[in-house]
Amino acid sequence: MLTVAKKELKLVGLSVKYNLMKEMINRTSFLMNVIFMILNNASFIIQWLILFQLKKDIGGYEMNDVLTLWALTASTFGISHIFFFGAYHLPNLIMNGKLDAFLVQPKNTLLSICSSKSSTSAIGDLIYGYLVIIIFDFSIQRLLLFTYFTVLGGITLTAFSVIVGSSSFLFVRGDILADNLNGAMINFSTYPEGIFKGTVRLLLYTIIPVGIVNYLPILVLREFKAIYLVAVTVFAICLTALAFWVFQKGLKRYSSSNLMSARV
Amino acid sequence: MEQRMIIQAQNLSKTFRVKEKRKGLRGSLRSIVKPSYKEIKAVEDISFHIAEGEIIAFIGPNGAGKSTTIKMLTGILYPSGGEAMVDDINPCKKRKQLAYKIGTVFGQKEQLWTHLTPYDNFKFFGAVYDIAEKEVEARIEELKSTFELSEFINTPVRNLSLGQRIRCEIVASLIHKPKILFLDEPTIGLDPVVKENIRTLIKKMNKDYGMTVFLTSHDVGDIEKLCKRIIIVNHGKIVLDDSMEKVKYHYLDKKIIEIKMKEEMALPRIEGVTVLKSKGVNLKIEVDTKIISIQEVLKWLDTDNLMDITISNVPLESIITQIYKERS
Repeated sequence: MLTVAKKELKLVGLSVKYNLMKEMINRTSFLMNVIFMILNNASFIIQWLILFQLKKDIGGYEMNDVLTLWALTASTFGISHIFFFGAYHLPNLIMNGKLDAFLVQPKNTLLSICSSKSSTSAIGDLIYGYLVIIIFDFSIQRLLLFTYFTVLGGITLTAFSVIVGSSSFLFVRGDILADNLNGAMINFSTYPEGIFKGTVRLLLYTIIPVGIVNYLPILVLREFKAIYLVAVTVFAICLTALAFWVFQKGLKRYSSSNLMSARV
Repeated sequence: MEQRMIIQAQNLSKTFRVKEKRKGLRGSLRSIVKPSYKEIKAVEDISFHIAEGEIIAFIGPNGAGKSTTIKMLTGILYPSGGEAMVDDINPCKKRKQLAYKIGTVFGQKEQLWTHLTPYDNFKFFGAVYDIAEKEVEARIEELKSTFELSEFINTPVRNLSLGQRIRCEIVASLIHKPKILFLDEPTIGLDPVVKENIRTLIKKMNKDYGMTVFLTSHDVGDIEKLCKRIIIVNHGKIVLDDSMEKVKYHYLDKKIIEIKMKEEMALPRIEGVTVLKSKGVNLKIEVDTKIISIQEVLKWLDTDNLMDITISNVPLESIITQIYKERS
């Protein structure tokens, strides 16, 4: 079991390595992508700085909390899009019958698909997240917790994307639903929790689990609470298991196609 | 000694549920409110057995169910009915286990990473099949010389010609020494020289390693030069499963005679003779030898007027087309 997991992870590493090698062929575009993503993320902070000059507390968050929220959103997004960008292409692969190449390999199909693509700009997101944590309010404990939540959040985001992307097994143009829900995950995760009330808040802890990926970790980073740490961990494990199950169920409905295609 | 059956399909079926699109904007709106579906039977109750080391051609017109069958045998698609066993493994139950034993080449779909060189691709596939580093290197060396890849093994795949790419696709599918090779139109779009080259290599793999080859192709040359057995499918059903020799023999009662004359000559209507082409001094006829012998036909021709004559069998392509028409 452990050997199998080791081999699967080795292959994920190799896929990511080859993907990055591909991106690095064009050095200028690679560096530009990374640098501009850091600058892009940084520009939003200016907007928050202005807001916090008008009001000290927005939705229960102070400037430091917002910085941590943005750092965590960027780094979880970064991890997910560097290592598992293929998950976001799942609807396209299903609709156009491009899973064939993965299905004839003796490895876990979902892992192979997820790790088959990498986003260069996501490296900028990951770097940005760590820069913010290191520059503002640095401590070793915060850095370690931040890393833990980054990895867990990246896995949860990917699992969420696989679940919504698997809708393409059920109906045509499932990509629209997947894009909307993935977009909602990112949009909601850039605002303080307190501004959302009632049903929306309930949604953020259920259907669009931003609350678990971002808001609970912020509470732990602000003041360590083991219960929240456990909750985030259990949720990540359950959602990942659910993603594998949903994908496996969906695979039985996969109909392939004879479209000409290339692995690029 | 009884031959071992490496591929067994028993009443294999696959049905796809497809949404029906109604005409016009009103139809589209109605489809949103009340969608309607139709069932398409891509493969219907087919059964066959393939012995270890055989090269078989699995052919049929477009939409006959060839690719669907291959996809069920390789575990890509779940059958709607029936069962398949490939090297004693059920593809839909133990797909990963089966993957170690089979190689697949889809002529229309690339499995290689286009930005990587063939060498890096082969190394990647080595890791996919858990082959030790040293062993992969040795295997690449072996296949490199067999498939003559030295010239372009370090060129990114996207810069290779189609023929070079297909050779690399086949090598990638052979890296783990599979027992069975599934080839879905491997020579599609290739020029005659490259096609011949690929055929020679497939034959060599079969001869040297006893590899079973399951081939689908529209190219009669592939079938004629590689396969000893032919399975023809149409509308999802097997319409013929026989040896190539028997198929040809059965249809050899028809001969093609091509005649070039000194002067134009009109052939009278003869029972059993069909004029296929008549242009000036050139004449092409088909003779049904069950009705009339070649000797009889030649008697009708003025031998002094003959410049050249060729008698040949009906091409396999025509035989296959006839089978499609007769048995569909």
